[in-house]
Amino acid sequence: MKEKLEALLRDGIQRVNEAKTEAELQEVKGSLLGKQGSVTLLMKEMSKLPKEERPAAGQLINRTKNQLSELIDTRREELKLKASEVSADFDVTVPGLPPIGGGLHPIIQMCYDLNDAFRSMGFEVFEATDISSEYYSFDKLNFPPNHPARESMDTYWLEGHDSGESWDKLCLRPHLTGDSVRYLQTHKAPYRFVYPGRVYRNETTDARHERAFFQYEALIVDKDFTFTAGKVMIQTILSKVFGREVKIRMRSGFFPFVEPGYEIDMECLVCGGKGCSVCKQVGWIEVMPGGTPHPNVLRSAGLDPDEYTGFYVNIGLDRLVMMRYGIDDVRLFNSADLRFLEQFR
Amino acid sequence: MKVSLNWIKDYVKLPADMDLKKLAYDLTMSTVEVEDAEELGKRFDGIVVGVIKEVLPHPNADKLRVCRTDIGGGEIKEIVCGGSNLEVNQKVAVAVPGTFVKWHGEGEPVEIKVSKLRGVESYGMICASTEIGLEDLFPLGGEHEILNLNAFECEAGDPIAKALNLDDVILEIDNKSMTNRPDLWGHYGIAREIATLYDLPLEPIAEIIPEAEGGIDIRIGDSERCRRFIGTKMEGLYVKESPFEMQTRLWRVGVRPINALVDVTNYVMLATGQPTHAYDKDHIVDFISARMAQEGEKLVLLSGEELELNTDDLVIADATGPVGLAGVMGGAKDSILPETKDVILEIANFESRGIRRTTQRYDVRTEASSRYEKAIDPERCDLARNMALAMYKELYPEMTITAYGDVYPTEIEKPVIDVSLNWLERRLGQTFPNEYIINKLSRMGFDVTIDGDNLHVVTPSWRSTGDISEKADIMEEIARIYGYDNIQATKITTTFEAAINQLDFDLSRKIKEYLAFRCNMQEIFTYPWMTDKTVEAIMGTTDGLLKLSTPPSPTEKFIKCSILPNICDAVAKNERFYSDFAIFEEAQTYMDKDYVSKYDEKEKIPGYTKAIGGAFTGNANDIVGLFRKAKGVLEMMPRYTHMEGFTFRKDVKPVWADNTVWLNIYVGDVKVGDMGLLAKKPSMECGIKNLAAILFELDFYKLVPFKSRTNEFKHLPEFPENNYDISLLFDESTKWETIYEAIMKKAKSEKLLKSASFVDEYKGKQVPQGKKSVTVRLVIASTTKTLTSEEIEKVAATVTKTLVHTVGAETRY
Repeated sequence: MKEKLEALLRDGIQRVNEAKTEAELQEVKGSLLGKQGSVTLLMKEMSKLPKEERPAAGQLINRTKNQLSELIDTRREELKLKASEVSADFDVTVPGLPPIGGGLHPIIQMCYDLNDAFRSMGFEVFEATDISSEYYSFDKLNFPPNHPARESMDTYWLEGHDSGESWDKLCLRPHLTGDSVRYLQTHKAPYRFVYPGRVYRNETTDARHERAFFQYEALIVDKDFTFTAGKVMIQTILSKVFGREVKIRMRSGFFPFVEPGYEIDMECLVCGGKGCSVCKQVGWIEVMPGGTPHPNVLRSAGLDPDEYTGFYVNIGLDRLVMMRYGIDDVRLFNSADLRFLEQFR
Repeated sequence: MKVSLNWIKDYVKLPADMDLKKLAYDLTMSTVEVEDAEELGKRFDGIVVGVIKEVLPHPNADKLRVCRTDIGGGEIKEIVCGGSNLEVNQKVAVAVPGTFVKWHGEGEPVEIKVSKLRGVESYGMICASTEIGLEDLFPLGGEHEILNLNAFECEAGDPIAKALNLDDVILEIDNKSMTNRPDLWGHYGIAREIATLYDLPLEPIAEIIPEAEGGIDIRIGDSERCRRFIGTKMEGLYVKESPFEMQTRLWRVGVRPINALVDVTNYVMLATGQPTHAYDKDHIVDFISARMAQEGEKLVLLSGEELELNTDDLVIADATGPVGLAGVMGGAKDSILPETKDVILEIANFESRGIRRTTQRYDVRTEASSRYEKAIDPERCDLARNMALAMYKELYPEMTITAYGDVYPTEIEKPVIDVSLNWLERRLGQTFPNEYIINKLSRMGFDVTIDGDNLHVVTPSWRSTGDISEKADIMEEIARIYGYDNIQATKITTTFEAAINQLDFDLSRKIKEYLAFRCNMQEIFTYPWMTDKTVEAIMGTTDGLLKLSTPPSPTEKFIKCSILPNICDAVAKNERFYSDFAIFEEAQTYMDKDYVSKYDEKEKIPGYTKAIGGAFTGNANDIVGLFRKAKGVLEMMPRYTHMEGFTFRKDVKPVWADNTVWLNIYVGDVKVGDMGLLAKKPSMECGIKNLAAILFELDFYKLVPFKSRTNEFKHLPEFPENNYDISLLFDESTKWETIYEAIMKKAKSEKLLKSASFVDEYKGKQVPQGKKSVTVRLVIASTTKTLTSEEIEKVAATVTKTLVHTVGAETRY
């Protein structure tokens, strides 16, 4: 009996340790400790033993049974740690399923980035209509009566609204700046606001010229605001957009609605200012005109230019977005071509 | 505009060690945009003077010669050449191997190599003027003529640029950056800026007022349009070539030399910015006048073009009629001819806007008109006269000025401006010493005095035509010369007043972000105009739409009245590459009615709204799926974007919609938009071939944003909620809304029934004709205990019974 048990134990230990899965282990457990298991059967044989030997034999069998049972439990825990739900051949190199997604237009993305930055500095967002009048687009902005931009070669005029007094002449707005006067008229100084929007010019299109493009203007009007404070603002904005310090320079420039006026150039991010084809070998890229609102513009908004001054910039978002992604054809923005637009999700 | 630095040096002595890159940079920062600074000599790198020592016949070609040529450094090289004018001891231009030249003056430049020509090795090439870009200075005599440099003092091996004295730097200035500065359209003006920047003296131009015996009968017909006219009659001149140095000056800045009489007029314009014109005296009859043209009067221009003038054109005329289009171009018959001896020189001032109208009317633009258009001051005439008469005197010492006249009816007003120094300091955020301000403004020509806090300036005439008029202009002058970049930046101060709360902008952004990020739609931009064909297809009519007077193309004249036409064009365009996609756009839409005056009562803007619209496209076999997808996006939009909820009704079918699949969208009683399946006919008309499209459009201004989130918290259920699906047969015409309402009516008495939702509907094999099977999911729960399956089934059975009785449902099995 004892020898039989020992043999059984040896064999049992080996089989438990050889079990590779929980299912195999369960099978081993059944064949040892189940109703027809070898240990169980040995227990039944005990009745054949002389009475005085039975207690000792019972103890021995129980010990063996407990030993095997413990071993099986331990082995089961071991197997649980090693187990996988699937075959070991499962291929983890198959590509993932991308989430289907839509997206905002890349220019709107940039616009929202800027809105966030400006709103954090206490700016309001303003919006006006795509259709404007010569009165607001030119007269109130100090454009001289015969300025070339007033003529149809540059501006889209509306049929039946293209003659008469300047307020009767309607156009697709050629720039956003006219809308600043609308804001100034309907709000109280001091002002701090941005006005994003699309503007339209009657031009021949090519990779660098579009008929519709997106501008983003920011205007501060306040008492005794030094125009150089605006420089800090620009640096902050561009660094936010490009995620790193961007070098800028301010140089003399002329726009009828500002005095003084300047061009703000950004160091070319493609070549780092060394000169390349993107920046036409100059190392700088013109990103925005800016200046102090012209006294006449302030006057047309009912403000005294001796008292008030300010800072204005007009950011051409198309060009900034082109720089951000290295896009080489401005016309793609208005193409509605999903092969282009889905790249910016 | 091209500017020669050598020319500038006539007026301002630049230090020998001047860094040219810095000069270009400083000019760009303070005055005008210098786009390029070209070292002219480099254009001729590799081209040297050669002296032909021997001209030998070519063994294998009749028309070629072998020239043994000294190219300096003691080297005699054999060069094969087909030149017709080759001579021994001739000085020629030799392109050494490695140099690029334009072969026979045509095509792209090619590299010269040591190569065999008809079996004889040739070292480089003896060039014609056309091959090295010098044809304007050395017009080609004959087809095979090579450039002969015998007239120049030079030696074999000298670089050609040195031999011809072409070492110069040419600045290319962006014209757009100086449209407001008429004073800069000549070398003298640029020199004045440089003198100001670097505190260098500007050379004065000596005044010459001729004391002629006779006067000239000058008549000004319109003193608004012609504000000054100086006429000078010179006798004893003749047509000859200008000195080479003068010719190259013109050539360097892009003007072709013609003859000395004409070259002086061009030279003076390029130097001062003041156009001048020379007439052959013999062609001017009795008097010279600047008058308005008569209607229909004819004039043949120097270019040969004949114009029919109108009364808005200013002409120069004599007793017989117009002889030139004032400020634009001279007439053909009165110009300088080879036999011209005596000349009347015109130096006049014309008003800018009139010149601009005339150039536009006839589409004639010249160097002169582009300068007049910028508004030149009448006193520039003096500078031009001083320079022109000095040059004629120098070129023709024997000539005499026989008559002179200067008519200047109204002297130009020079703005007088007083600026408070304290104001200047506050605006610029920096103090400038008085000496600095006086120095810089004086160098620019301002007459400056400072008395206490007051800066008193008198503007020079050349800045008085609109450029400088008030104190902000003076501030700009000081700031730009100092350099905007050099002024210390100060921080922006922020005063916190109130948080900015812009519900409308937030809603627009939330809707777009919802559509893009939750609903997988792509935002697009299209133009604010639409294609005629698509508008007609989608809107059914073009009545009441606004039009552009000069549209981008004849078939794109209508202003956007709805988002949908351009959306449909975009669907058609993308159909080639995608089989299911969803797009949207936000834009303003307009109609030719309901005009509004929001900002000024005089200005009336056509009725408009901001619209958001889009399309869901997919396989035409699954319109139900596509419809449910689109409807789901609209149904859930108010919840995710926090605005008043939508209801859907069928009131007015959108023109473009399929007869069955459409809905109007309401907020309360206000219709805010439409959705529906694009009908087959308009779909095909706008070029959509296969895809089905569900369109929607919302009027943004009618949407009502919540002031804050309105989501409400509900306690989590204490006892399990049970989903129980029932499938029943209904008549095909039974609407889900009817089924749902019947169930929810029952829910009022059956408290264990919490909600019901649509799972799916099925028509097909196992369902009898005219019927559909609808699966409804019931949520059954108690707030006080866990329900048994019997209790759950009992509720479901009640619902089934209700549907059988009220909606005519049939159990399926």
